[in-house]
Amino acid sequence: MSEKENNSSFIIPNSAFWSSVWAIVWKDLQIEKHTRQIVSVMIMFSLVTVIMFNFALEANLAAAREVATGLLWATILLAGTLGLNRSLAIERENQTMEAILMAPINRSAIYLGKVISTTVFVLILEAILVFIFIIFFNKPYWRPQVILVLFLGTIGYIAAGVLVTSMTIQTRTREVLLPVLLLPLSLPLVLPAATIVSSYMFPQLPELAEIQTPLSLVLVYDLLMLAVGFLTYHYVVES
Amino acid sequence: MIQIKGLVKNYGMNHVLRGVDLHVRPGEFVTLVGSNGAGKTTLLRIVATLQQATAGQVTIGGWLLPQHASRVREHIGLVSHQALLYGDLTAAENLTFFARLYRLENQQERVATALKTVGLLARQRDAVSTFSRGMVQRLTIARATLHEPDVLLLDEPYTGLDQDAARLLDDLLRRESANGRTILMITHDLTHGLNLCDRVAILNRGKIVAEVDSAHTNPAEFLELYTEHTRRREKRRKRPVSGSGSSE
Amino acid sequence: MELTRLNRNVRILNWAAFVTISIALLIVFFYAPTERTMGNVQRIFYFHVGAAWVGAVAFFIALIAGASYLRRPSKKWDTVAVASVEIGLVFLTMAIVAGSVWGKPAWNTWWNWSSVRLTTITIAWLTYAAYFMLRGAIEDEEKRGRFAAVYVIAAFVTIILSYLSIRFVNDLLHPVVVGGTANPQTGQAADSLQEFAPGVESTRMVLSLNASVIAFSFLYAAWMVNRIRLQRFMDEASNLKMRVVSRLQGDLS
Repeated sequence: MSEKENNSSFIIPNSAFWSSVWAIVWKDLQIEKHTRQIVSVMIMFSLVTVIMFNFALEANLAAAREVATGLLWATILLAGTLGLNRSLAIERENQTMEAILMAPINRSAIYLGKVISTTVFVLILEAILVFIFIIFFNKPYWRPQVILVLFLGTIGYIAAGVLVTSMTIQTRTREVLLPVLLLPLSLPLVLPAATIVSSYMFPQLPELAEIQTPLSLVLVYDLLMLAVGFLTYHYVVES
Repeated sequence: MIQIKGLVKNYGMNHVLRGVDLHVRPGEFVTLVGSNGAGKTTLLRIVATLQQATAGQVTIGGWLLPQHASRVREHIGLVSHQALLYGDLTAAENLTFFARLYRLENQQERVATALKTVGLLARQRDAVSTFSRGMVQRLTIARATLHEPDVLLLDEPYTGLDQDAARLLDDLLRRESANGRTILMITHDLTHGLNLCDRVAILNRGKIVAEVDSAHTNPAEFLELYTEHTRRREKRRKRPVSGSGSSE
Repeated sequence: MELTRLNRNVRILNWAAFVTISIALLIVFFYAPTERTMGNVQRIFYFHVGAAWVGAVAFFIALIAGASYLRRPSKKWDTVAVASVEIGLVFLTMAIVAGSVWGKPAWNTWWNWSSVRLTTITIAWLTYAAYFMLRGAIEDEEKRGRFAAVYVIAAFVTIILSYLSIRFVNDLLHPVVVGGTANPQTGQAADSLQEFAPGVESTRMVLSLNASVIAFSFLYAAWMVNRIRLQRFMDEASNLKMRVVSRLQGDLS
C-alpha cells in the first residue's frame, strides 16, 4: 500500500491544500445559493419539531422552558442528519465524487471542505433556531457564551458527521443508517455542551470553574474527531 | 504513454482481470471493446487512479501507479457516460470548480475558451440540469480537457446520445485526437469503437484476446473477428456444464 | 485446518479463564470486606468495574486492529476487530446490568440518568452496537472491512470521552473508588457510598477488585481466541460453499 506515501494525510497543509479546501467550500455554497435545499429542509424540519414538541407538553410553557435546551440540541442533531445526508448526496449524484477524486488533491482537503461547508449550513440553521427559541421560551440563548458553545458543538458534530455520512451513503440502507451511527457517536460531545448551555440559562452567569470540565470535553472531542476524519477520510472515499 | 503489464484484479474469489497487457503510444487512439462483464470498466478505473490493481504494473507518462497517483492525475481526464457534473451549478460554475481543483492559471479565460470549443458559451449561465444529454456530454468533454491532460479516458461515451449528438461527439473526439492527445476508450459498441481509433483491442473474460489495426480492417471483418474471439471462449466455458449433466 | 480439536493455546486459555474466574468468585464472596451501608449488594461492584474495564480494553484492541487493517488490509485484522467489539459489547452489557442492580439499593431506582458512568457506558454500548449495523449494510467484503475499521477508530473517541468524564465530571451519585482522589467532591461521594474502614479493609477491597479485573482479562482472552477460531471456520465454510458453487458452474475445470 504505497498509495499512502502519496495521498498521505500527514502532509503539512500548504497553500495548494487550502485552495482545494476552498474550491470544495465555494462549490457547496454556490450550489446552496442556487437551490437553498439544505438550509431550508433543515429549518422546516426544526420548526415542525419544535411545534410538535409544544403539543406534547400541552402548551405548558413552564414545562417547555425547563427542557428547552435539550430540545434545542435534539433539534440541531436531527436536522443536522438531514443536512449531512443532503450535503454528501451532492457528491453521489452524477458520481461527481469520482471527478473530485481524479483531481490531484489531497483527500483530507475534501474532508475539511465538506466539514466547513456543512458547518456553515448548520450554523445558519442555529442562528434561526436561537432566534425562535428566544421568542418561544424567553431564555437568554443570545448570550455570546451560548453561541460559542453551539459553534464548538457543531464543529465536532459535523466532523464526526461528514466521516460517518460519507460511509453510510455508500451502503445499502443509506439515509436510514446515519442517525443510528451518528447520534450515539456524538452524545459524548452533546451532553457536556448541553450542560454548559443550561448553566447559562440563569440570570447569574456561572463561574468559569463550573464549566471548565464540560468545555474541555467539548474541545477534546472536536480535536479528536477532526483528527480521525483527517487521517482516515481517504479510506472512506477511495476504493 | 500508457503501459499496462500483467494487470490482475480480483474481487475476492472473482477474477475480473487476469493479466492484461496493453501499450498505448503517445498520440494514439485505442479502443477497447468487450461484452458486459469482460472487465473493461475495472481496467479503466484502475488507469483512472480510482481503483487499485491486485497485481501487475500500470505506468502513465512514465509515472507508476498507484505510487505516483497524484502525478498521474494531473495528466489524465475522464469522460464517462456519467456526467460527473453538478446539475445544480451552471456550466461556467462547474468548469470554474474544476479549474480551481486543478489550480489552473487564468481560470476565467480557460473556462470561457473551453465553453466556446464545445459550443456552450451561450448557455454558460444555465444550470446543467436543464441541459440535453448531448449538451451535458459536450460539457463533460470540456471538463475533462480543461487542464489539458495528455491522456483522455473515455468510458462508454456514446451511451444515451442520439445520432446528432453522437456525430458531434465524434467531431470533438477527432479534434482532441488531432491535438495530439492520447485516447483510451472502452465501449461495447463495435461501430463507434472502430470508426475513430487507430487500434482496437478486444477484451474478453479479463484478458486481451486480439488487437487489430483499424486502418486495415473493415467493420464486417472486425465483427467476424470479434464474434470468433468471444464465442470460442463461451464454448470452452460451457462445456463442463453440459458434461456434468446437472440441468437435464 | 484442524477442525475437530482445540489447539493448545485455546485450551490453555480456556482453563486459565475458568480457574481465574473461580478464584475471583471465591475472593469476592469470601475475602472481600462487607461494605458498611450497602452490605453484600456492594459485592456486585467488583463485577461491574471488572466488566467495564475489560470492555474498554476490548475496544482498545479493536482500535488497534482497525488501524492495522487500514495500514495493511487483511482478513485477520478484520476478524480481530469484529471479535473484540463483540466481546467488548458483552462485557459492557454485564457492566450496565451490574451497575443497574447495584443502583437499585444505592439510589432506590434501577436507572439514574445523572450517573455519569452509567450514561457514558450506555452511550459506548450504543456506539459499538451500531458497528454491527454498519457491517450488516455493506456487502462487499473489502469495503466492509475498510469502513468498519474507520468506524471502530472513530468510536474509540467515545471511550476516551467516557473515561475523561468519569474522571473529571462531578458525579455525586457515583463513587470513584480507585485513585478517585483526583477530585475532592467525588472523593467525598466515594466516602459516603463506599464505606470501608481505612487500612486492612480497603486494602482487601483493592485486592479483590484487582483479582476480578485479572480474571475478566483472562476471560476476555479466552473468548477472543475462541471467537477468532469460530470466524475461521465460518470463512472456511463459506469458501467451501463458493468452491462447490463454482464447480457446479464449471468454472474450475
